[in-house]
Amino acid sequence: MDEKLRYRGRIAQTGIYLKKLMRMFVYQNDWKALPMAALIAGLVTFAVGGSLFKTQEGTLSGCFALVCVCIWNGFFNSIQSVCRERPVVKREHRGGMHVSSYIAAHMIYQAVLCILQTAILLWICRQAGIAFPKEGLIFGPFLMDFGVSMFLITYAADMMSLAISSLVHSTTTAMTVMPFMLIFQLIFSGGLVRLEGPAVKLTNVTAAKWGLQNLCALSDYNNQPMVTLWNTIWKFRAMEIDGQRPIKMMTDYIAENDMRDQLLLESGQYNMNPDYAFDALNVLKCWGALLLIILVFACLSVVLLEFIDRDRR
Amino acid sequence: MPSTIFNIVSWFLSSLGIALILKKCGQRGWYAFIPGLRYYRLGIACGREPDALKCLVLEIVMQLLSVCSRFVGSDETQGRFLLLLQLFFGIILVVFEIRVLVGICQIFGLRRRWIFFWILLPSFAPLVLGCRKKYQPVHIASVPDDEYVGGLAPAELSAAVDADESDDGLVVHVRARTAKNFGKTRYLLKDINLTVPNGSLVLLLGGSGAGKTTLVNAVTGYEKADADVRLNGKDIYNNYDEMKYRIGFAPQQDLLRMNDTVTKTLNDAALLRLPAGVSAKERRAKIESVMDTLGLSGRQDGLVAKKSGGQKKRISIGMELISDPDLFILDEPDSGLDGVIARELFERLRAVADEGKIVIAITHTPDRVADLFDKVIVLARDSGKVGRLAFYGSPEEAKAFFSKDSMERIVMAINSRSEGGEGRADEFIEKYAQLTMEKEAVCHG
Repeated sequence: MDEKLRYRGRIAQTGIYLKKLMRMFVYQNDWKALPMAALIAGLVTFAVGGSLFKTQEGTLSGCFALVCVCIWNGFFNSIQSVCRERPVVKREHRGGMHVSSYIAAHMIYQAVLCILQTAILLWICRQAGIAFPKEGLIFGPFLMDFGVSMFLITYAADMMSLAISSLVHSTTTAMTVMPFMLIFQLIFSGGLVRLEGPAVKLTNVTAAKWGLQNLCALSDYNNQPMVTLWNTIWKFRAMEIDGQRPIKMMTDYIAENDMRDQLLLESGQYNMNPDYAFDALNVLKCWGALLLIILVFACLSVVLLEFIDRDRR
Repeated sequence: MPSTIFNIVSWFLSSLGIALILKKCGQRGWYAFIPGLRYYRLGIACGREPDALKCLVLEIVMQLLSVCSRFVGSDETQGRFLLLLQLFFGIILVVFEIRVLVGICQIFGLRRRWIFFWILLPSFAPLVLGCRKKYQPVHIASVPDDEYVGGLAPAELSAAVDADESDDGLVVHVRARTAKNFGKTRYLLKDINLTVPNGSLVLLLGGSGAGKTTLVNAVTGYEKADADVRLNGKDIYNNYDEMKYRIGFAPQQDLLRMNDTVTKTLNDAALLRLPAGVSAKERRAKIESVMDTLGLSGRQDGLVAKKSGGQKKRISIGMELISDPDLFILDEPDSGLDGVIARELFERLRAVADEGKIVIAITHTPDRVADLFDKVIVLARDSGKVGRLAFYGSPEEAKAFFSKDSMERIVMAINSRSEGGEGRADEFIEKYAQLTMEKEAVCHG
């Protein structure tokens, strides 16, 4: 009886929980996350896919929409995953479960789920006829770089919601907190609302900001034409000054001499954003930031769940 | 200037009123004059400590924000942000203050319309409640500040240690189990000494809030107390990492993953709780043995969610039993089960105990299975709201000690009057302590 017995360590326990989560994928309807991802991707590509990678405006709004899809998928993947079984986790922790193993199993499982969702998203984008650029910056093919980026955005959002799920005690609270997190991500991505002052610093803690920067950089945003200026001028064609229509004359001249595309590219040069530079280092910086977010929130999940024994009955 | 004087007078009157209310509740009245502390103390007085604590924290936050806003102009962005925060925390503070006031209404037996009276006339309402003699607390919800009420003094009781102590079985000496609440120490359990021999099926009896689960958590080492707890000669607290595998605890609820299969649930429990060296074959044999013991054989297919309440309960018990624990504790294993199924379950627990294990079960319907138990531990909450040992012995001895013919009547005897009981907890705690001391005196010649 006094012989010191060895019990399963962290790695073995991670395996046990990973198998359990894989079973839950089938039995607990977690698989529904995949068709849902396909549905959302389909809707978004239908809405914004037409001008993606063609113009600065189309790329910005399209990339923003794709970032939203990634964050939405990531949040929904794990927002309830821990809190829905919190009393069971507490019981198992009492019986010798390591919290780090439990979270590690979730991380691996969620990574697989995020990879599948990213693959579905890319496949749907291709099916929708989006013309992807050919050249990437890191691995060579654009789709590879784009896929890794979207995976990292989804996974970062996933880890954020895993931390929330580890903090809250019920699914109701988790689902109440989630919209706030989502709005925070979207507003502070810098893509939807132009931010100034101290608010700009806040953007650095969002996966949305790094995700948008990453996708825009990969899409070579800065070297794309800008159409806003042309479209705005076009609206004033009928304006008369001293019985003449100078704006119409100017636009006709530009169109007749095939100078429109040149003008769009020139106006794009004035709308460059240094954060979206088509540069491998820039993309790697974004990946680094996303990886840091993943790491921080995964560690936070472990720390938060270590306090599970303090839960009241 | 007149408004300042009015504010000072108003604050003084409300503080005076609250001080008198606190005094009526057995608290120190002068707390009412310390800014930020009045609702905290009122919350303590009416037994709403969590709300009281939140009030205190929010008051501190509001004060800090107020100080910060003085340094920042209200026209600046930071000033507006601070104002927003003040509004945010202010709303939450009002909600928790109302909760405290609801508690005050309850202990004074007042209608809730008093809350509106209090909010509309904050200096007058407390004064009326504090001054008028006709408003007295129906019951005191908290331990008065200056005195310890109930039972024997701790020193006397700590001497009353069970004489039949040995290295076999479970030896429990809980001197105290306390909880800190914002710097204030509150006793949850005191002076619980007992020895449970191996092979015993023990009933843990007590009313709501008597400290049954607290005692169980202290005994298993899950929530450590000021205690010595030994299982077969080995200190549980000092060897917790090893001992936790030799202790099984089946919670009241069926804490299972409903969308997993029965076999996989038990297999995972076995993987987690059995030593790493146990082979797959031995593990399977162990699972089959547990299923056989609990009457689950032939029902292992399908999801846990599809099983009946009784089966789920047995799966939950099986998860703990799989590691073959020396000490097995069950928190209301029969809750939600009908009489026949509950009886069958306890008969199976009796069989587990007969294998030389110690099985301790908490149940609120003990009489239908009372004959199966070897011992009964009766916990009671004394007038100081501290859980104490009111009796430990065989069920027959318990009936004689309390002069009652059933276990449920014993619980009624020790429950407080507000819970519909006889309110005789202090009497029996003292009686049992005297009995134990007499026993010890006889043992020591």
